[in-house]
Amino acid sequence: MIDAAPFEIASELNAETARLSLLGELDLASAPQLERSVGEALAQGAAEILIDLSRLSFIDSSGLRLFILLNDRAGADGWTLALTRPPEPSRAVFQITGAEENLPFIEEAPSA
Amino acid sequence: MDIGEAHGILDVAQSAFISIDQDGVIVFWNIRAEEMFGLAREQAIGRSLAETIIPERYREAHRAGLRSAARMGQGPVINKRLELAAMRPGGGEFPIEITISALVQEAGWSFHAFILDISERHAAERAREQQLGELQLALRGTEERLAVIVNTLAEAVTIRAPDDRLIYANRAALDRLGMASIEELRAADPVALMEPYETVGADGREIRMEDLPSVRVLRGEEPEPLMLHSVHRRTGEEQWTLLKANAVRDAEGSIEAAVTIIEDVTTAQRTSLRAEFLARAGQVLASSLDYQQTLRNVAGLAVPQIADWCAVDLFDEERGREPVAVAHVDPDRLGMAERLRTYEPEQLDPDQGLGLVWRTGSPALFSDISDEMLVGAAVDEVYLELLRAVGMRSALIVPMKVRGRTIGTLTLVTADSRRVLDAGDVEFAEQIADRAALAVESARLYRGRAEIARTLQSSLLPEELPEVPGWEIAALYRPAGQESEVGGDFYDVWQVGSDWLMMIGDVTGKGVGAAAVTSLVRHTAWAAAEFDARPAEILARVDAALKRRPSLPVCTALSLRISMAHGTLACGGHPRLLHLGERGVREIGHHGTLLGAFPRVSWPEATFNMNPGETLVAITDGVTDTLGAENERFGTERLKETLAQARSESPAAISEHLLEALQSFQVGAQADDTAVVIMRFTGAPSEQQTPPRTSVGNLGV
Repeated sequence: MIDAAPFEIASELNAETARLSLLGELDLASAPQLERSVGEALAQGAAEILIDLSRLSFIDSSGLRLFILLNDRAGADGWTLALTRPPEPSRAVFQITGAEENLPFIEEAPSA
Repeated sequence: MDIGEAHGILDVAQSAFISIDQDGVIVFWNIRAEEMFGLAREQAIGRSLAETIIPERYREAHRAGLRSAARMGQGPVINKRLELAAMRPGGGEFPIEITISALVQEAGWSFHAFILDISERHAAERAREQQLGELQLALRGTEERLAVIVNTLAEAVTIRAPDDRLIYANRAALDRLGMASIEELRAADPVALMEPYETVGADGREIRMEDLPSVRVLRGEEPEPLMLHSVHRRTGEEQWTLLKANAVRDAEGSIEAAVTIIEDVTTAQRTSLRAEFLARAGQVLASSLDYQQTLRNVAGLAVPQIADWCAVDLFDEERGREPVAVAHVDPDRLGMAERLRTYEPEQLDPDQGLGLVWRTGSPALFSDISDEMLVGAAVDEVYLELLRAVGMRSALIVPMKVRGRTIGTLTLVTADSRRVLDAGDVEFAEQIADRAALAVESARLYRGRAEIARTLQSSLLPEELPEVPGWEIAALYRPAGQESEVGGDFYDVWQVGSDWLMMIGDVTGKGVGAAAVTSLVRHTAWAAAEFDARPAEILARVDAALKRRPSLPVCTALSLRISMAHGTLACGGHPRLLHLGERGVREIGHHGTLLGAFPRVSWPEATFNMNPGETLVAITDGVTDTLGAENERFGTERLKETLAQARSESPAAISEHLLEALQSFQVGAQADDTAVVIMRFTGAPSEQQTPPRTSVGNLGV
């Protein structure tokens, strides 16, 4: 049995942009939850999915793989994926894997 | 000061002031008197006092008193504070407090009185009295009601005196104690009251008189409520009770008695024990794939809470019986239970005992086992003697069924506890048996799957690490999760020309899918190395091969090439290599792109040289991601510290040390696969083919 590490997603949909704010640890156990949330946002008509990683405390290879998968799907299905930069130490995972150069990170002004 | 002057002062006094002469005629009447009696001074003076303010029934006494006082200047009322009744000329009596003094002058005696209207004081007193009366009335009612309430309480209530005798018990308590009346109870020996019961605490410990909360309260302690499990020795009736005791103290605070409330929690306790048991049985059943061990654990759980002994038998297709587990509440009696079981036929008899349950699929309950039943069941004298010695009270055999098929039985027996098994126990035992049956069935299926997984896994790891000249190598591999799943971590060490390659990686995902990707990665790496053994080139080939797969397999890998003391490495999204040397532990290599994932890639190579005694450690992220208490990860810093402690040890010892550190850090189940390859450079072997294992030299370095 794997204990679930704390993970939450706050979703808000404005016009065609869905903002999913991740809180906690994205791993093998929580990745399916994010995948579902993205699917739901797209089903509700979102054309752009912005995933806010500013409170992502941990990510493992399963979580990383999900972002790669979402990025590929966005390209294939014609929607836009954007990610904000996570804090350390999860940022290091994106850096050491080359994901930072390859995934659609955006610089975002601090939210109001 | 003459009387006139005095009257001036008395006019402003707070009390009414009246003077009379020796004939009882009013000679002075102050302002407060005017107010009190509603009569002006002019009207009052000259009147007879008796007719003005004294109720008629007292007038004669007044006149008699006045006559005698006028003779002697004293009487029973002079110079005393008296409470009397007064009247207003307009009608209406009211209580007064009066102090009378007597003065003698040439005209004879005169009498002077200070008078206070005490109607209010009286009213207050009367109100108080009335309240008190009502309160007493109410209290009397409460006492009666209390007695009624206490008697109708389902909870038994007893009161124990300092000499430990019970002096009061409500009806429920009398019933519980088997007493007809309080008198009978008072006469009883307190220890004898406990004798009909086999009484133990929630922990199974025997409870004696001095453990009872009421007795402890009388000793001045403040005991916690006590949970008791009692079984009536004769009837076998089982009860769970909760005893709470409080001290009753007298006015000085010393303990007069102890009141105990005895709550029958049998139903609640049985329900909660059963739920707890099922939860624990569930855990036990899910915890191991060795179903024989699992069933032994379940049998162990069943005693003493459910029965005094518990046995599990499994049946095969040909009615053969396999005794799997037996547990007895008393370990010394286990042998007896086991001997008894040898009398059960190896081959099931479909008409009795386990065989009957196997055939019908219905439970068999023997609530009250009589000696005749034992005689009837015994095949020989030894068996009968054994049956009698065991002292069975009740027995229950329930089938363990999977999809309607009975694969075994669960047998519960009560003996020494004298507890009688009933219909409620049957239902509960069936629930346990169902779970146990499922566990057995899954374990049997699982055993097949686990075997496949083990085979597959072993095909993905080198059977044994090759001997690399000048190096000592050890590896650590810990797959996470279920045994039937194949992990995604891999490592390999192989030779290409005169150089050696080491690769360690982590394929995202688990199971057969991940195994297929792992296999692809290894074969691609081997093929690539034959063509171009540079680490970055190997990673590039693997990356390209993964990208050709539609399922988006992603992999991190570290590729290392060693040429004696010289090394080259590249990382594809993988943790860097750790170098353990004189100056501590440092990470070497550059970060490169994750394999199979991205269009923009780069795998910068790094080169380094080794000194003898220095060690390289390659890990997968399962090591640093290991989760400890409070969601803390093992992390790179802790890894470095751990490795630094064992820096100069052999690879096997470093591996051991790291494993211990991970295990003691880890909280809960391991979440991710863990692979570690540890390579110690012992020094280049001499040109004269010195065997690699014994070369600890400085040649060529």
